[in-house]
Amino acid sequence: MKGKPVETNDLRALGETHQDTHGIIRGSRRLHHHPWHVVILVWGVAIILAFFILGPLCWLSLHAFASNWTYPHLLPEGWTFHWWTVVFSDPGLGVAIHNSLVFAPLTVAISAVICLPAAYSLSRIPFPGRRVVLVGLFATNAFPKMGLFVTMSTLFTALNLMNTVTGILIVHLLGTIVFMTWLPAAAFSAVPRNLEEAARDSGAGWWRTFLTVTLPIAWPGILVALVMCFLASFDESQGTYLVGAPTYMTMPTEMYSLVLNSPRQVAAVFSIILTIPSVVLMTLARRHIMGGRLADGFQIR
Amino acid sequence: MAAPTAVVLVFVAFPVFNALLFSLGFTGGINSTLAEIGQDIISTPSFAVFENLFHDSMYMRDLGATLIVTFASTVLTIGAACVISIILRLYGGYLGKLLSILAVVPLFVPVVIASWAILTFYDGTGFLRSVAASLGFSAPTWGFTLTAVTIGSVWTSLPFAVLLIAGAMQGIPDALLEAAHDAGAGNWQAIWHVLLPLAKIPLTIASTFTFIGVLGSFTVPYFTGPNSPTMLGVDLSRYFTAFNRPQQSTAQAFVVFAFASVAAGLYLWATMHSNEQTS
Repeated sequence: MKGKPVETNDLRALGETHQDTHGIIRGSRRLHHHPWHVVILVWGVAIILAFFILGPLCWLSLHAFASNWTYPHLLPEGWTFHWWTVVFSDPGLGVAIHNSLVFAPLTVAISAVICLPAAYSLSRIPFPGRRVVLVGLFATNAFPKMGLFVTMSTLFTALNLMNTVTGILIVHLLGTIVFMTWLPAAAFSAVPRNLEEAARDSGAGWWRTFLTVTLPIAWPGILVALVMCFLASFDESQGTYLVGAPTYMTMPTEMYSLVLNSPRQVAAVFSIILTIPSVVLMTLARRHIMGGRLADGFQIR
Repeated sequence: MAAPTAVVLVFVAFPVFNALLFSLGFTGGINSTLAEIGQDIISTPSFAVFENLFHDSMYMRDLGATLIVTFASTVLTIGAACVISIILRLYGGYLGKLLSILAVVPLFVPVVIASWAILTFYDGTGFLRSVAASLGFSAPTWGFTLTAVTIGSVWTSLPFAVLLIAGAMQGIPDALLEAAHDAGAGNWQAIWHVLLPLAKIPLTIASTFTFIGVLGSFTVPYFTGPNSPTMLGVDLSRYFTAFNRPQQSTAQAFVVFAFASVAAGLYLWATMHSNEQTS
């Protein structure tokens, strides 16, 4: 009775090709039959959490299809797609969507080029300043983002980078560096060295070893980094607003003015559109994020 | 490792160092442009900017509000993450998995949207008040209060805390829990003496990240919070753009950074400690 679930767990673990062993999706098992008050407690937590997390999202989504909604009715007076046509016919919003979809992939590409080689060497070359570098990169996170942008704008004004694409890309890049170095560095570190050595012994060169052994094993971690990086850029609003507005508006910065100047329903429609890329990307990487890649990457090794 | 370090040195370390000089009254060099257009600039090297800040009762009130919201959000986030992780580990099953998936949902939602959604949910015409009104009593209006900021901060910080803490607790072997039960420990004792102590380091890391994140946050308090007292992140931006007082703004950044550094120190200690344990 007690041993059986363990065996199924172990078999499942053996069957996994990737190494997400510490993930939170790993099968849990019951140690005991649960007394009724524990069951009630757990259901209570589940209901409160569902209300807390999903409540605001559902409430907001309903607004996108509501014709008119007066307090204190729990449902709107009617349903309409009118607000969607309002959003899609506004040229400013189209430009914002376009800008966001240009800046985010560009940021990911630049960040990957700058950070991935560094992540690899951080995981492979033992040098005394290794931790200093990792910690130094982390310091960009510890300094308040808003403070960083304010201090940076001094430099940007001096370098004529205010209201330029370069300036915005630098702001976005800074928000991605920690993800792009730490997560891939952890992923590269997790690749078993003996596999690489075996490939080298059988005559594969460095590139071949890297492309056929190291990269495929480290890929989930890199994928999570790429996704987090895209979203960090896509969601960035404070710095973009400070450096780019009003010349370059992105979807999140547009949201600031929408909330102030438009009917609630328009902001709701825009919110749904703005959430789509996140949901798609996160769903693609969900297994690895839940599998512990994100959590593992934030422990300095 | 040269490239990202260089980027950080040029676009973070250098401006930060420069901003420190600016806030201490050195207004030459690349600071001169800002010093010319900004108001209330102090151009003699001194701690005067900081002294003025700490004598500003409005600012001190904001600082107090920020620390309270940050502590409350951190405690609530880590508490909720622990409850979810413990249920996932000990209870498991579909309900446990459902809880963990629910807790990670905010990771999928841009912070701007989350703040806006939370504001509309809890404000004067929001869901909470509508339900209460249809049941015949009046619920508090949390929109534009520090309560809403705390709710928003917990909402946005929860996924990362759950991933870290649940990840650690799922990695604790069944054998240890069984040993505890065989020794006569109940569920509560198993939680207190096995699960929580073994997840100590991820708990520290999650707390630090939450603390630093909420402390310097801008979007959540900007959307959901009151005008006064407000969070320091909003103050920072307001002093810079609306009040045109860049020197005070940079000084405020260092005040936030000072508090964040204390938390970051804790984080570094925890991760270094974990390295010693694993290696």
